[in-house]
Amino acid sequence: MMRFYLLLLVAWLAVLQPHPVFAHGGVVEEEDLCVIKVNYLRGHFKIYQPLLDGHEEYCEDLPNATESIFVMEYMHDSLANAAVDFRIVRDVTGKGRFARWEDVEAIPDLDAVTVFYREPRVDPDVLTVMHEFTEEGHFIGIVTANVTGDDQVHRAVFPFEVGYTGVGYWPFFILLLAAIQVHYLLMSGRLKTWWSARSAATALLLVLVMQSDADAETWRSDRGLFEVRIESSLQPIAINQMHSWTLYLDSEGTAVSGAELTVTGGMPEHDHGMPTRPRVTEEVAAGVYRLRGMRFHMAGQWEIVVEIDAGGRRDTVTILLNL
Amino acid sequence: MNKTGIWVILVTTVVLSAIASHQWPRVGSWTEAERAVLRSLWLGSLPDVPVDTSNSVAGDPVAAEFGHALFFSTRLSPSNAIACVTCHRPELNFTDGMQKGRGVGQSQRNTMSIVGSAHSPWQYWDGRRDSQWAQALSPIEDPAEHGGHREHVVEVIAADSDLRARYESVFGELPAMDNEANVDRVFSNVGKAIAAYERLIQPGRSRFDDFVEAVLDEDPHRQRALYSNDEIAGLRLFIGKAQCTQCHNGPLLTNNEFHNTGVLSFPGDLPDKGRAAGVREVLRDPFNCAGRFNDAAGATCDELEFARTGFEVLGAFRTPSLRNLSNTQPYMHKGQLFTLTDVLEHYNEAPLAMIGHNEAKPLGLTAQELAQLEAFLETLAAPLATAERWLSAPVPEER
Repeated sequence: MMRFYLLLLVAWLAVLQPHPVFAHGGVVEEEDLCVIKVNYLRGHFKIYQPLLDGHEEYCEDLPNATESIFVMEYMHDSLANAAVDFRIVRDVTGKGRFARWEDVEAIPDLDAVTVFYREPRVDPDVLTVMHEFTEEGHFIGIVTANVTGDDQVHRAVFPFEVGYTGVGYWPFFILLLAAIQVHYLLMSGRLKTWWSARSAATALLLVLVMQSDADAETWRSDRGLFEVRIESSLQPIAINQMHSWTLYLDSEGTAVSGAELTVTGGMPEHDHGMPTRPRVTEEVAAGVYRLRGMRFHMAGQWEIVVEIDAGGRRDTVTILLNL
Repeated sequence: MNKTGIWVILVTTVVLSAIASHQWPRVGSWTEAERAVLRSLWLGSLPDVPVDTSNSVAGDPVAAEFGHALFFSTRLSPSNAIACVTCHRPELNFTDGMQKGRGVGQSQRNTMSIVGSAHSPWQYWDGRRDSQWAQALSPIEDPAEHGGHREHVVEVIAADSDLRARYESVFGELPAMDNEANVDRVFSNVGKAIAAYERLIQPGRSRFDDFVEAVLDEDPHRQRALYSNDEIAGLRLFIGKAQCTQCHNGPLLTNNEFHNTGVLSFPGDLPDKGRAAGVREVLRDPFNCAGRFNDAAGATCDELEFARTGFEVLGAFRTPSLRNLSNTQPYMHKGQLFTLTDVLEHYNEAPLAMIGHNEAKPLGLTAQELAQLEAFLETLAAPLATAERWLSAPVPEER
């Protein structure tokens, strides 16, 4: 009970202390992610000052007047296809964190206070702009997206400061919270249980994963609708070589013809996909499909996921491969 | 327990931990799996240079001589100042020692080594060309490099009796030059001759390869004679904890694939989109596998057809070979990292990528381990397997 009150006290104190990165206008922090809201379209937002701070990511306020790179990764496909412009103006509205579009619109000569402007342009993969701030101060960023076929105005207005100092006392409070929690876990013996549960889970997973010898085996789909057998044109399957597979698709012993197969894959341990985009290009015989464009570029544990749609009957097969 | 007892226990624990954490090299005791990995990295496992069906003169020695002359010739640039060799210097493993290449103007990327590049399906950091011959054409028309154009190249060949004779002995009579299609054809042939020469530039046998043979022969004496303790420890890290073989695998120590490793942007430049932009460009290149200059009629172009696009290749760059590293600094796509120490620290840290996703994870290696890794990497250096005469300008024939 004591612990609960202690934690509560520390958390309240932590929240109270001034935090430099609050939500302002079009940019908000949601569950650890910095998100820019261009009307309802969203992007993952981050700012770098590589010359002085290397890989440090900022959400809005920047500590230095220096080369700053703004990055917007699209969480919404429409943004990727929209013509987006990016403007930074000196904040002459006097509203600081509370400045909104109406305040910006009221500025008589926008160009006179614009320190950076990038013309509308479609950036298919990611939006990046770079501006070197020559002086500290308060600024307002305005991002406008022109989505084809959509008459709505998509705009984000985010005030920010260049040249704030300090990160506040967050690290101290977090450490204190963690210390209290760990102390409790140690004292109550919960830490040991948690630790062995984790090891047990890992062991179980390893056992399951070890049962993989993809080539010879028949793989059953998740809901039990299909069986898939694979044959590789490359025997044994070596890395860094383009090759193809033949997939034999059965349902309860009968070949399944005319199915649509989509193949993706990756290495779960290494958090990346396949180096190519393989495709089933033809059905060479009833239930026999040619899968081309297969390549593996690393040794290790691979997962190939085949999504099957046979006239409305849908299921997924996961093939495990240890190279 | 008395005080002495406690002290004995404490000191013993400290000493034992120190001994346990030191990297003792286990010379001579390589497991079956480790031997297999070493064999895969060994130069002896390098297959013959793959046949390039898109280039019918790739294996032609006369074409290679012609390509040799073209590679070293400054006449392909209108300024008569820039040749391929200006940036691809043989004494620096065919790189130029600069962060970004400099021809007539400032290029935007680090000059890649061409050694062993015949084995790669893609050329350039972003894979924007899919053959050596298509790549060879690109710098000629790049305003920052040769600053030239194909009409000029064709004129130079037509006007010079020696070059013209060499061209015609490989490709037949020079066609009429008033026709755009003919100019393109001659230009593509120039690239193919240069590629025939570049295919000859291959890495040579290094101390690492000797060491692998000693391991495969199960000869611990020779292993100890070839490698220091640190180098052995570095090799074990390379194929183990440091996870380098995820991308630096195969006899050239590269899988020639595209990876985002979270390299910081170059000062004054936006973060480089890498393969995401490169794959778009290669699909548009008229000299690609699917284009009409492919000498293999009706060829299948699996690499182009199944190339990966999108977020996964955003900020991703082609893995370079690790052979002859010491001659190829600075490192990374814009030469952002100057020394091997910088590179190893970068991988140890595995920072989040500015754009795209860094698949690497922090390694948690100690300073001693990083130094051992570096010591191992130095053992990959070796003279090229290419005959000397190809590594300098061709001697003009007596006429």
